[in-house]
Amino acid sequence: MSKRRLPRPAVFAFLLPNFLGFCTFMLFPIALSFWMSLTNWSLKPAIETEFLGARNFTDLLGVWATGEGDGGAVAVWYYAAAAGLFLGLAGTLWAVVTGWRGGRIAGAILTALAAGIVHQWIVAARRPGSAGLAAGGHGLAVAAVICLLAGVAMMRREEGDWRFGPAMLPALLVAASAAGLWALHGPMWSAYEPSDPRFWQFLFNTLYLMLGIPFSIAGSLALAMLLSNPFPLGRAARRVIALAMCLLCGAVTTGLLWTLGYPNLGLLGGIVWLVAAIGLAVNVVAFRTLFYLPTFTSGVALMVLWKALYNPETGPINVGLTAVLGWFGVGAETAAAALPKWLADVAWAKPALIFMGVWTAIGGTNMLLYLAGLSNIPPQLLDAAQVDGAGRWARFRHVIWPQLAPTTFFISIMSIIGGLQGGFEQARVMTQGGPAGSTTTLSYYIYNKFFFDLDLGYAAAISWVLFAFIFIATAINWRFGRELEVVE
Amino acid sequence: MIAQPKRSHAGSIVRFVALCVVGFVISVPFIWMVAASFKPRAEVEDVQIVPNKPFPRNYSIVLDMEPDPTTGRFLELRFKRWYFNSIFIAVGITVLQVLTSAMAAYAFSRMHWRGRDKVFLAYLATMMVPGMVTMIPNYQIMISLGFLNTYHGLVLPAAFSAFGTFLLRQFMLSIPPSLDEAAKIDGASHWQVFWHVIMPLARPGLIALGIFTFLGAYRSFFWPLIMLHSDRLYPLQVGMLALDTTYGRQTELIMAATVMNIVPLILVFVVFQRFLVKGIQLGSVKG
Repeated sequence: MSKRRLPRPAVFAFLLPNFLGFCTFMLFPIALSFWMSLTNWSLKPAIETEFLGARNFTDLLGVWATGEGDGGAVAVWYYAAAAGLFLGLAGTLWAVVTGWRGGRIAGAILTALAAGIVHQWIVAARRPGSAGLAAGGHGLAVAAVICLLAGVAMMRREEGDWRFGPAMLPALLVAASAAGLWALHGPMWSAYEPSDPRFWQFLFNTLYLMLGIPFSIAGSLALAMLLSNPFPLGRAARRVIALAMCLLCGAVTTGLLWTLGYPNLGLLGGIVWLVAAIGLAVNVVAFRTLFYLPTFTSGVALMVLWKALYNPETGPINVGLTAVLGWFGVGAETAAAALPKWLADVAWAKPALIFMGVWTAIGGTNMLLYLAGLSNIPPQLLDAAQVDGAGRWARFRHVIWPQLAPTTFFISIMSIIGGLQGGFEQARVMTQGGPAGSTTTLSYYIYNKFFFDLDLGYAAAISWVLFAFIFIATAINWRFGRELEVVE
Repeated sequence: MIAQPKRSHAGSIVRFVALCVVGFVISVPFIWMVAASFKPRAEVEDVQIVPNKPFPRNYSIVLDMEPDPTTGRFLELRFKRWYFNSIFIAVGITVLQVLTSAMAAYAFSRMHWRGRDKVFLAYLATMMVPGMVTMIPNYQIMISLGFLNTYHGLVLPAAFSAFGTFLLRQFMLSIPPSLDEAAKIDGASHWQVFWHVIMPLARPGLIALGIFTFLGAYRSFFWPLIMLHSDRLYPLQVGMLALDTTYGRQTELIMAATVMNIVPLILVFVVFQRFLVKGIQLGSVKG
C-alpha cells in the first residue's frame, strides 16, 4: 500500500468515538487506579484523601516481626528459597518449551523430587525432638529411591545417552528450594506474622480453586480426541435405520419402565437413547453442541442452579445419595450425618466449586480449540507413525501431543489468567465467600474492600498486586507463545 | 483415535458409547433444572425427577401473572421488567460496541496517519489489564458523573472495547486491499468504502464480535451489581440474585426463573452456532 497522508478529519471521524471511550474508561482509569493505590482514597466523606506512598502495598504484602527466634537469618534463607523456587519453575518451563518435552522433563522432575525428598529426610532426621518425622523418613527414603530409579529410567529411555547437565538444573533448583521453604516455613511463621493474613488466605483460596484447570484441560483434550472424527456412518439409509432403532428402543424403554412404576428410570433411559439417536442423526456435531451448552449458558443462572443442586437438605445430590445409601440399609439420619454439606462445609466447598468449574468448562472453548488443533495435524504424520509400527499411545505421545503443544500452552496460560481473576460470581451468588472465608478469592476480597469498606485505595492496591501476577503469565505467553506459533 | 487409515467398527462403538455417557453427565443438571421447574411445591424435594402432577404455573408465578398458591400473594419481583432490561442493555451495548469498534478498526487498518501504530499498541497493552483494576476507578468516575443507577451508566463503559477493535482490525487486514483501492479510484469517500465495501466483507467478524459482546453483556453481573440500587433497572442476572436471596427456599420458582434466564442464550446459540467456532478461533489469536 502506498504511504499517502490522508486528510485528518476523516481519521478523527472514524477513530474518535472509540478513542474517547477508550481514554475515559480505560486509559484514565488505569492511571487513576494507580494513583488511588498510593493514597487512602475512600468513599467515606469523613476521610480526607492523603498520599501514602507505598503503604497500602506494605500493609498488604508486608510482615511484622514477632520477636521470636532469629528472624533476620530465617527471612534471608526463606526469601532465597522462594526466589530459587520461582527461578526453578521458570527454568523448568523454559526447558519444557525449548524442546525438553515429555519423558525427559518428567524424568528430571522425578529425579528432582527424589532429591527433594532426600533433603527433607536429612532435615527431619537431624532435627532433635522430631522422632516421628525421622521414622517417617525411612519411608520417604524408599520413595526417593523409587522416584530416582523411575526418573533415571525415563531419561535413559528417551534419548539413549545420559543427559543430566542443563535439563536437571532447574528441576533440582525447584526441589531444593521447595524443600528449603518447607523446612523454613515453621520458623518463618513464628518469627514473623503477615500484616494482612487474610490476603494470603484468599490468595491460597484463589490458587486452590485453580486446581481444576488441569482436569478441565485434560478432559477437553480427551473429548476433542473422541470428537475429532465423524462416525463412519456411510449410507444415509443405514443412518436412518439406526436412528429409527434408537428412537424405538428409547420409546420402548421409557414406556415399559414408566408403566412398571419407575418414571425416573424410564425418563433416564429414554434420554440416553435420545442422545444416542441425535448423535447418530447429526454425527459428532450433536455431541459438540451438547458439550458446549454449559459454557454457553454459564453465569449467574447456572450458579443458582448448582447452588440448588448442592443444597445439603433439599438438593438432588444429597437426596439422591441418601436414597442410594437407603438401598444399602443406611438410615436417613446416619446418611444425613455422613454426607458432605457441600457449599456449607469448609472441607467440601472448594472441591464443589472446582467440580462445577470443570463441568462448565470441559466441553467449552478449550475443546473447540483442541478440535481446531487436531484438524491441523497433517494426516501424513499419523500415517507415517502407523507404518513405523507405532501403537495408539505412541502415536498420541509422539505425534499428537507435540503437535498440540502450542494449543495446550495457550489454553493453560489463558486458564491461569482467568483463574487468577476468577471466583467472584461463585462467591457472591453461591457462598458469600464462606464458610469461614474458604471460598473468598482475591477478586471477591477486592469487591468487599471497595464496596463494603469503601476503601478504594486499598482495593486498588490489591488489584495491582493481582495485575502483577497476571502480567507474569502474560509475559510468559509473549515470550514463548510466539515461538510456538499460537493456534491459527 | 484420529485419522486412522483403517477404522474399526468396535472402536467407533466404544467412542460412541463414551460420548453418550459424557453427554448424559453434562445434561443431567439441565434435566433436573427443567423437571424441577415443573414441580409443585410439595414434590421439589423428592428423589423422583419426573413430577407426578406437572405444575407449569411456576412460570406465571415468577412472571408475576398470578399469586403464589401457598401464600396467596404475588411475588415482590419485577421479573418481566428485568427481562426487558437485560435484553435492552445487552442489545444497546452490542450495537454500540460493534459500531465503534468497526470504525476504529477501519481507521487502524485502512487509513494512514502519524502515530497510528503507537496508538494501536496502547490499545493492545490495555487488553492485558484485568477488569478489576479499571473497575474501581470507573466506579468513582460514575459517581462523579452522576451515572450511578442509570441505564447509560451500564451501557456507556461497555460500548468501547480494545478487544473488539483488535479483533476487527485483524479481520479487516485479511480483506484484500485491492477491493477498496478500486472503490477509491472510482471516487468513493472513506465513509462509502467503509460502509459499502469493508463492512459487508467483514460480516463474519462483525457477527462473531456481536455474539461475544451480547453474551458478555447479557451475562455481566459485577458491574450492574455495584452500579444499581433500584430494582426497576436490574438486569436479569442481578435479579436472579435478588430472587435467590428472597425466595431461595422455593426451589421450583428459582428453577423456573433459571430456565427463563438461559432460554435467550440457547436461542442465540441455535441461531448463530455456525459463526461461533470461527469466532472463537479468531478471538484466540491474541497478543
